[in-house]
Order: sequence, then structure tokens, then C-alpha cells
Amino acid sequence: MTGVRARLSRQHLIRTLGLWGATALVGLFVLGPILWMVDSSLQGENELLSRPSHILPVNPSFDNYNYIFTGEIPRSFAVRGAIRSRISQEARQIPQALENSVIVALGVTLINLLLGSLAAYSFARIRFRGKGLTFNFLLGSRLLPAMAIAIPYYTIINGLGQLDTYTALIVVYLTFTLPFTVWFLREYFLLLPKETEDAALIDGCNRFQTLVHIVLPLAAPAMVAAGAFAFMASYNEFLFALLLTQTINSQTLPVIIASVAVNPDASFALISVSVVLAMVPPLLFAIGIRRYLTRGLVGAIGHA
Amino acid sequence: MAGQVRRRAAPGQASSHRERTYAYLTLLPALLIVAGFTVYPLVYSVYLSLHREILTDPLNHPFTGLTNYAQVLGSYYLVSSTLSTIIFAALAVPAVLAFGLAVALLLNQSFAGSAFLRVVILLPWAMPAVISGIVWRWIFNGDYGVLNNLLSSLGIIHQYIPWLSTPATARAGLVVAQVWREGPLAAIFLLAALQTIPRELYSAAKVDGGGGWSAFRHVTLPMLRPTLSIVLIYETIVAVVTFDLVYVMTGGGPGDATSLISWYAYTEVFKFVNLGHGAALAFLIAAALVVVILIYLRALRSEELY
Amino acid sequence: MSDLDVLVNALNAGRVSRREFVSRGIALGLSTTVLGSVLAACAQTAQKSGGPVDLTFVTWSYGIDTIKSNIAKFEAQNPNTTVAFQDFSWLNYHDTMVTRFVGKTPTDLAYSSDHWLQEWAAAGWLAPLEDHFSQVRSYRADYFPYVTSGMTYNGKVYGIPYYADTWAFLYNADHLQRAGLSGPPATWDELTEQAKTIKSKGIANYPVILLFAQDDPGSIEVWTSMVFSRTDGHLFDSSFHPVFNQPGSAAAKTIDWISGSLRDTKILDPASLQSQEIPVVKGMESGAHTFTILETYNQAELNNPGVNKLAGNFKMAPMPGETQGTVGYVRFYAATGQLINRGADAVGAAGKFLEYFGGKTGDQFSPVVKRWAVENGLGFGWKSLWNDAEVKTAFNKWGDSAMLQKNQELARAKDGLTKFYPSWDVFSRTELQKAYLGQVSTQDALKAMADKWNELQKA
Repeated sequence: MTGVRARLSRQHLIRTLGLWGATALVGLFVLGPILWMVDSSLQGENELLSRPSHILPVNPSFDNYNYIFTGEIPRSFAVRGAIRSRISQEARQIPQALENSVIVALGVTLINLLLGSLAAYSFARIRFRGKGLTFNFLLGSRLLPAMAIAIPYYTIINGLGQLDTYTALIVVYLTFTLPFTVWFLREYFLLLPKETEDAALIDGCNRFQTLVHIVLPLAAPAMVAAGAFAFMASYNEFLFALLLTQTINSQTLPVIIASVAVNPDASFALISVSVVLAMVPPLLFAIGIRRYLTRGLVGAIGHA
Repeated sequence: MAGQVRRRAAPGQASSHRERTYAYLTLLPALLIVAGFTVYPLVYSVYLSLHREILTDPLNHPFTGLTNYAQVLGSYYLVSSTLSTIIFAALAVPAVLAFGLAVALLLNQSFAGSAFLRVVILLPWAMPAVISGIVWRWIFNGDYGVLNNLLSSLGIIHQYIPWLSTPATARAGLVVAQVWREGPLAAIFLLAALQTIPRELYSAAKVDGGGGWSAFRHVTLPMLRPTLSIVLIYETIVAVVTFDLVYVMTGGGPGDATSLISWYAYTEVFKFVNLGHGAALAFLIAAALVVVILIYLRALRSEELY
Repeated sequence: MSDLDVLVNALNAGRVSRREFVSRGIALGLSTTVLGSVLAACAQTAQKSGGPVDLTFVTWSYGIDTIKSNIAKFEAQNPNTTVAFQDFSWLNYHDTMVTRFVGKTPTDLAYSSDHWLQEWAAAGWLAPLEDHFSQVRSYRADYFPYVTSGMTYNGKVYGIPYYADTWAFLYNADHLQRAGLSGPPATWDELTEQAKTIKSKGIANYPVILLFAQDDPGSIEVWTSMVFSRTDGHLFDSSFHPVFNQPGSAAAKTIDWISGSLRDTKILDPASLQSQEIPVVKGMESGAHTFTILETYNQAELNNPGVNKLAGNFKMAPMPGETQGTVGYVRFYAATGQLINRGADAVGAAGKFLEYFGGKTGDQFSPVVKRWAVENGLGFGWKSLWNDAEVKTAFNKWGDSAMLQKNQELARAKDGLTKFYPSWDVFSRTELQKAYLGQVSTQDALKAMADKWNELQKA
């Protein structure tokens, strides 16, 4: 008896060790680059470039963060004589770009869920002429390569007088994300038990009321998952953000960071600060939605 | 006829005139937005691809038929960049799938570590591709890259390796970065699929004497197949169409080892300012992609029959 | 005063833009026709009275706080002119501007560069400055030759320099001293010998690092500067026919030297093939390398004690070749075709702007020209600016003004600047890397580059 228990607990121990070992490996790979950015953002340029470089900061300092938020030049860039040390002034736009990015991504997410759920529910439950055609059109629109549509997109937005606005970015990102949202939510809606909806319809609810009162509460996890995709896609997008924005009134984080990163006066520490700050909103978002995300996907994928 | 009668009989499926109107109204906003940004660009691109449209020659735009397509097919970069793209996709797509599956299996275990990983795993997804490219290029740097630093302080290497300067290691480096960026998404999808597999199937496998591997082989994998197919198709599209991460990391080099075909579509438009070539190449890439997807679908379906 | 009057006055004073004017006017309940005629009337008065002008000025994102403060000073001196400023990432600047020009987005003044001029002028996006701004012709005599040729298309000058730098041979003097070497190398062979010594003494594992990353436009300039430094260092003859593909050409010798240094003597850091400008600078700062070729302003960064503990060790020498030739480039203020079409008032305001940002009156340089040189260490295009004591002192803090000046005199604009240069450049960067790596022979690479050139020239 004790032998069996010992064997079982040894097995348990090996299993636990294996799982934690694997977790550590995956965690290291996934988090490694991000942790290294955090690490670099706290180091002075001198330390980053010493050979071999310090893996951990020797004199951690928040000077670089301070510069971005207050404009106070880090000690290592102090003014000397006629020559001021060069520092990438563009980095100071990071807070504003952060705000722009979050506004655009949230705007896309909300409108996307609103329009996407309306359309997806009709695709899931109502028969009408042109259903297959419109559905395939939505999905097929995603096959157009971005390079082929970049200039036409610019022409349209320019023609509407909407260059350098949040509206332009939100509308363009909606066209990128809506097809996925509609497909994804439709799959999920198809899975829901129809009986409740039928009962509601018989009780005199119309389709819209049924959607709002019956379907959406059941589909909350799927909405969260679809919202997450829309948020991340908008938050990450670079090429169209670059072409459609012109000033810091609407320029998003990828645009500003890409510009800081190629400036000859950029320090690695400053680039790291930008990257670390860029990770904050999605991290908060990810923590907020993690519970729903898998559940939402479970539903839609269970059907696929 | 019979179908119509049946539809009318079942209240949930019946589609009255009012319902149809409702359906059209609810589709309209989404359709209008997508169509507004699809139809015109499509027509415009087709037009460009059939004309000589070189911006440095602003007054000369004759209709040229399929000349642009022929010129792109005969261009110096077509063969080498197609090859680079195939090599990249052939390495990256299976790697992303394997990573995603392994991580999904890990996340599916109930222990404290998986709760932690479920948040952490979302982060690479949130990092803009251009930024990931910058970060990975820095990590792989031959002079002060942290990878060299780490490996040499562990005593694994004795001399710093310029990872991105030789074709083989540059391709491998790209695959690592692609797995980092795309793997998490695959993992989340596969995790969701894993959770839909009924427990009873595993108990039944156990009764049949199947251990861990056999259960994986005969229960998990077949149940994951639909999701794996979706991820496979999606990752193939990503590997073929998006080039930003790759391009920021290696600039297409060394030589043409990592010059992907999509990058040339961008280059034709924005560097060579030859809009006709750019549009033609974009359509050729899209067509090739459709063919690949159809082949996938057929292969996956025919396997399912047996 | 009616609401409309208030609005019209605001428009004339430049306090509201035309777009804002229309939207506010509509809010007041006016029809667009009425507003249109008001706008037309305003435009006419503007024409007559030299009224307010709005200029749109586009740059790449470098030193934008400095640019903004320069604009503020300019606006204070010219109360009738307002400047709308927009900036785009340097790495994507060309692509963004192409889109902008194709979309006909209002753009009056913009940064441009010698390697884009031919393309932008051929497309009709830029206007020849000298046809519209008389002072441009008088500036010409004071430019270094590479500056004039970098701003000239079809015999006309299209710009006023924002800055104009040269590629320079830089070395870490401390390494040389430790290796017992008396001075920098005068030829490429001597460089090889010195590098071998430094390598064998364990001072630097790879004494040479070069900016050869394929996606950095600098990579072709570094290679070209190495070609220019040799005897007969030309890529094309006077009628733009390739000469680089002849056996034993300066180009062939340059490729051979690079691939030999990379694969045989191993003095050239293989990381060079992935190194853009910043990694090369940081590599030098880390003390891992002895020799490199960089834009001269980077010497200011290298010798900056706040950032770099090896500051003070980085010296410049003439390019190690028989002729000591190198590449010089110019980034300049350009005016668009759109600006010219806006009429005399806009062109007049733009003329004042150009003078303030890049010009000189008599011997007096504009404060902006001096500011970039003194504060940022950016090279400039003007010969006589070296007579300015303040400028000279500033450059001597981190470099050697005599050496810098000599490099500028020896420098030439890149060979082969034509409207199809960008296509040839992209092709050539790949071929060159293949040759460095030994995937193709030097002659085959050069032949492919010549064939490509001829094909593009014919098209």
C-alpha cells in the first residue's frame, strides 16, 4: 500500500516538475524579449553597450521614463558647452500616441461588436436572398493584399477629407476586422440553443429584442473574444496608420516608435522605454479578458 | 416547395418579409463599410494592372493588356523570392502549429502555472509587428545581442555568432520570431478546441488500453483537426501575405535569402513607383494563395473520408 | 457685426482654416454656395493685399522640437504666414511622400534628398527652385560641388540645403595605440595589415565594421564611397554607361576587398551585413571595433562623453584609397508643384520661409542653418560657413574641422542618380551581398548589375 502511494506521489512529483519546467521554458521564450526591454529601459546607454553587457541593470534609473513624460533630459544627456547631446525628441510624443492608439482601438472594438453582432445574428438565423453571396463577399474581401489597396485607401480617405483623423483609422480598421467578427460570432450564435429564441419570438419579441435580451447575454464570452481580436489588430496596425496619419493628433504608437527607432540620435534605452509603455494597455486588456477569451473561443470552435 | 412549407412551419426558421427587411438593415452598415473599401480599391487595382502606370512617367498611361503580369512573371526576383517565401512558410507554419499545440496542451493542465501562462501568452500578440522585428533584430545582433551574451555566459558558445548574417541562421532566426509572434494565437485557438473534447472520449480510450500517447493520437488529434485546419490556413496566409516582421528583422538579406514575394509587391509600388507592376503582382499572389487554400481544403477533406 | 463677418475676419487673420471655416459656416446655417463665394472673395483680397498665407511643411521625424521652435520664430517675424507642420518616420518617408503626392494632399514645402530628386522631379511633384526664387541662383557659388550636383535635375537647382554630410573613415585611436600603430591607414591594403595586427593582438576580434544592412539606404553609399576612394573610382562614364563591370575596375577591387576581409582574413565583422546606421555607431561605442565608415555627424555621437565612456578616442582620417574620394549627400528643402500653382502670394511667403530656414543674406547665414550645425553637429553644404568662428569651435569639440572640410572638398554625389536609380539600388544591394558572401563571383554580380542598369535605361 505505502509502496503504491509512494509511487503515485513520485509520479505526481515528476508530473508537477515537468509541468513547471515546461511552463518556465515557454514563459522564458514568450516573456524573454519583453523582460529584456523592461531591463534595458532601466539601464543607461553606457551599461547597455558594455561588453559583455550587464544582463541586470547595475544602477537602475527611471531617467528615461522621466524624459518621456516631463521632457527632463536624462543625466547622461546633459548639456555641455556649445554642443547639446543629441536625444531623440520624437520619444516625447509617446504618451500622446499611446492615447491615440487606445482611443482608436477601443473605438474599433465597440463599433465592431455593435455592427458585427447585428449582422452575424441575421446571418445565423434569418433566411434571405443573397445571404451566401454577401457572407462570402465579406470573407473574400480579406484576400486583397494590403499593398494593392494601400494607395486606393489613401485616395478614398483623402477624398473624404478625413486624413489625420481618428475616424479614418477607425473606419479602415473596421473593414479589416468586421469580416472576422461576423464569421466568428455567426459560428457562435449557430451553436446557441434555438429553443429559447423561438420562445422569445413567439412571446412577441422581435429579432432585435431577441438578440439583445436573449442571445447577447449568452454570447458574452464570444463577444469578448471577437472584441479582443479587433482591439489587438487595431492596436498593432502599422502600414495604414503610417499612410493615413500626418501629425501627433492621430499618429499611433507603432508609427511613433518606428520613427524613434530609426533616428540616429535614438538611444537603445529610450527605444526600450517606448516599447515597454506600448505593452501596458494590451497587458491590462489581456488581464481583463483572459477568463472570457478561452470560453468564447471554445464555443465558436466547438462548432467549426 | 417542400422546403418552403417546412420553413414556414418552424417559427425560428421562418423568414417573413419583416424579418428579411430586418436582416438587410442589420447587414447594411457592415456591408457598406467593407464594400466601400473593397469594390473601389479592387476596380482601381485591376485598372492599374492593365495599364502602364509608372509615376516617374506621369503623362504616359496606355492600356497594355496583360503586359504587367508578363513582366512581373519574368522579373529577376520572381523565382528567388518565391523560393524564399516557400522555404519560410514551410519552416514557419509547422513550427507555429507545433508550438501552439504544445503550449495548448500545457495550458489545458490545471495547475497554477497555466493560469499565469494564459495571461503571459497574450503579450506577443499585442506587440506591433514592426516593433517585434526591431526587438528580435536586436536580440540576434552579432555584436551586443542578448542571445550571444546569454549563450556565451552559459558557456555554450565561445564566440559571438552573427545570426542574421548567414542565410541558414537568418532563416532560422526569422522562424523563431514568427513562432514568438504567431504561436500564442495558435495556442489560444487550440486550447479552446481542446476544452471542447468530451472527457468520456478519454475514458473510453483508457478502457481500450490506450495510454497518454495513444489517447493523444486517437482522441486529441482527430478532435483538433478542424481547428488545426483553420490555424494551418490562417498561418499560411500570414506567412505569404504579411512581410513586416520579416522585413524589419533582416531587410530581405543576407543576399536574397529572406526576400519574400510580398515584399516585392510593396517595393514595386513604393520604391519602384510602378503601380501597374505592384497591382499585377498583388493579384498573382492572391491567386496563388487561393490555389494553395483549395489544395489544403481538398487534402484535408479527402483525409477525413478515410 | 454679423456672425459671418466675425468668421470672415477670423479667416483672414489666419485664425481658422478654410475647412474649419466651412464647417463653422454650415453650423451658422449658411449654404455652401454662399460660403464658396465668401471664400472666393477672401482669396481675391488675399491676392491683392498680400494677405495671410498658410504653408504646409513636411519633414522626416528628426529634431522635431527644434523644427517647431524654428517655425515659431519664423511665424513671429512673418505674422502673415502660418506654417502647418507634419513629420514622418525617416525610414518610411519616401513611401509616405509618394502616397501623399499621388493623393494630391496639400504640400507646399518638404524635405527631399539627392536620391529621390530625379524621381520626384520627373513625376512633376517638385518645382525647380531657381525658376521661382531668385536668391537660389546666387547661393550656388558657395556650395561644395557635391551639394550642387545632388540638388540639380536637368540642369536646374531644386533645393536649398537642410544639411549636407559626407561619408568619412573613422577609427578608434586607442586601439591603434595599443597595437603599436603610428597612424591610420592610407590604402586599403594597409588597412588590411593594420586590422590583422589588431586582431592578432586580441584588441578587436573584428576590427572593421561597415554599414551594409540591406534595408539601410546608407549601405549603397558606403560601398560607393569605397569605390570613389580608389583610382578611376567611377561607376559610370559621362553618358551614364556602366564602367563598373570592366575587369579590374575600382568596383571589382572594392568587392574583392570586402569579401576577402569577410571570409579570408576575417577582419570584417560578419554582423556588418545586418548592421544599419545605429548598430554600427553602437558597435563602435562599445569598443568592439576599430575602423568604420559613417556620416561625419556620427563622430559627434561617438565622442559624446555623456553617452559613451570611450568618447574622445574616435578620430577621422581621409578615406584609405589613392584618391581619398568619398560620397557626399545633401538633404534639402524643396518646393512642390502645388505651391507654385497657388500663385504669387504663396510663392512669396515660401521664399521668405526658405530664406529663413536655409538661406543667407550677404555673408550672414540664417539662424536655422547655424543651429543644426552647432547644436546637432550636422554637416552643411556651404563653403563659407566654415569661416564662422562659432561653427568651427562647435565642430572642433568632437572632430577636426580641417579634416571635415577636406572631406567635403573631395566628396562627390553618388554616381548614377537617375529616375530609375531606386530600382537599380534595390537590385544591386542584393547582388552585392551575394558577392560578399561568395554566393556569386564578383564579375557575375557586376555583370548582373550592369545588365539591370541597361535594361532600366532602355525602358
